[in-house]
Amino acid sequence: MERTLRSYLLPSLLYALLLEAMLAAAIIYWPDFEENIDTYGDILPFESVRKMVESISDTGVAAYVNLQHFYKACNVLGTCAAVFFAVGAVAGEANRGTLELWLSRPISRTRMLLERYVAGALAMIVPIFLTTATIPWLLEQVGEEMSLSGLMLCSVHESIFLMVLYSLAFCLSTVTSRPMPVALGLLFVTIFQFSIYLVMEWTHYSWFRLADLDDFQSILRTGSLDASICVPLGVANVALLGAALYLFHRRVP
Amino acid sequence: MSQSPAILVRGLSRRFGAKQALAPVDLEVASGEIVGLIGPNGSGKSTLLRCLAGVVRKDAGEVQIDGVTLAGDGVNVRRRVTYSPGEVNAYGELTGAGQLAWLLRGRDAETLTRASGLSQELGLPLNKRVRTYSHGMKRQLLFAAAVAPKVKVRLLDEMTEGLDPAMRAGILDRLRADADSGNAILLSSHHFGEIDRVCDRLVFISGGEKLSEESPESIAERARGLASLEYPDLPTAESAYTAISELGLAAEERGARLLVRLGDEDPQAALARLLAASDLPAPTSVVYGKLPLADLYRELYGGDAC
Repeated sequence: MERTLRSYLLPSLLYALLLEAMLAAAIIYWPDFEENIDTYGDILPFESVRKMVESISDTGVAAYVNLQHFYKACNVLGTCAAVFFAVGAVAGEANRGTLELWLSRPISRTRMLLERYVAGALAMIVPIFLTTATIPWLLEQVGEEMSLSGLMLCSVHESIFLMVLYSLAFCLSTVTSRPMPVALGLLFVTIFQFSIYLVMEWTHYSWFRLADLDDFQSILRTGSLDASICVPLGVANVALLGAALYLFHRRVP
Repeated sequence: MSQSPAILVRGLSRRFGAKQALAPVDLEVASGEIVGLIGPNGSGKSTLLRCLAGVVRKDAGEVQIDGVTLAGDGVNVRRRVTYSPGEVNAYGELTGAGQLAWLLRGRDAETLTRASGLSQELGLPLNKRVRTYSHGMKRQLLFAAAVAPKVKVRLLDEMTEGLDPAMRAGILDRLRADADSGNAILLSSHHFGEIDRVCDRLVFISGGEKLSEESPESIAERARGLASLEYPDLPTAESAYTAISELGLAAEERGARLLVRLGDEDPQAALARLLAASDLPAPTSVVYGKLPLADLYRELYGGDAC
């Protein structure tokens, strides 16, 4: 575990710092944004984005934080982190020629894979929770406030959403020896999904509908996770992890 | 009461897509024995070793190692063997000590101490990063990790590949001592010299099938009707070839060396007649009754040494 953890620690730290920097910048900018919110609503090109700004106009800083932190920063950077942390788990070993050494140790394959899975998942998720925990303090600096419990529920929702992409990339990693094409392919699909989210006619075909402003606002409003989204995502997660384990057990160096 | 073999393989097979990498193979290796696997590239040597170590799943057959049946992902067997793969790739960012600890994860602490001691005996700088190691040093590090665990079976795939002669000799001596202490070693190699030196038995593999199994006695039997005549240069060897053919004996040219088939009836008399022939150029050396492995390989595979 030692080498695995170490190899995830630095990228995870950088990812956390980037998230925090984006979050801090967004919150510091909030008073200016609030002042000019009507102007933004007029000049934004996409109807979907205009609706988000309207939502902020109606509900205030909570929607702004959800949009900036969860929908924008965590979805975009989190997607990159999910792909980055997952895709090299097995394929990276094959690519550098160390897969056979890894498999030849007296450790069960289930344990080998789960260790990597958990380490990568923590590297991806922990920064989300850590940065989210700083939101109330950052908001205080601009004279606003939000409850930490609601924000943590949003973090849980965001993590479950990102874990599906992480598990998908992880599963693909168990069958390939070339992590880079898989990573680029997944990132391309993700960018495409993000793009169609912005187009009103196609927005319902985007998986980012499962972690958008409406979802996070709903969590804050009801004080609970949306089971109709989280349960299927959780099931997909378990299924992908099961597939990864099955494929890894049959993996040839 | 007969002791069960340290490695027992019955009908082991493995297919990769359309390619039958390993046809049903039977094999036994006794405790204290070193068995050499010989075959050309792609013959199935590494697949056999990987299957035995549980690194590659078998399609069919039964494998018992140190009395334990190979099942599932093979972890039960990997706890009882050491397996050293043919490819030498390591984590360059780790130190030698870190790499050893990584390789020996799942073993006890004493094993790591032994491996570190052995690495130091081999002159490896364990405090330096593996990326600064030469190919030979990485190979030695893998060797240290492969022989340190106190297990009864070692599976070694081209363990001495890329080592200089002195390093190779040192490793072979250690392997021999390890086998003499009662461990079973299955070793694949392309170096006939080392196989001839340390192996008690040879298994020839081709196309995933076991072609032949040879003991020192069976090799001697094959060599009974053969003589090897060495000449200083090719023209002399060619004129000797003509002279031998005129005597009605079959010969094969191996550069400046001729392998002469003396027949089975009375090979010693045939050799005496051959050497007494007036038109035969005098060879620089004559070897009779010992078949070099390269010749046996060529006889079995019909090609040059692997």
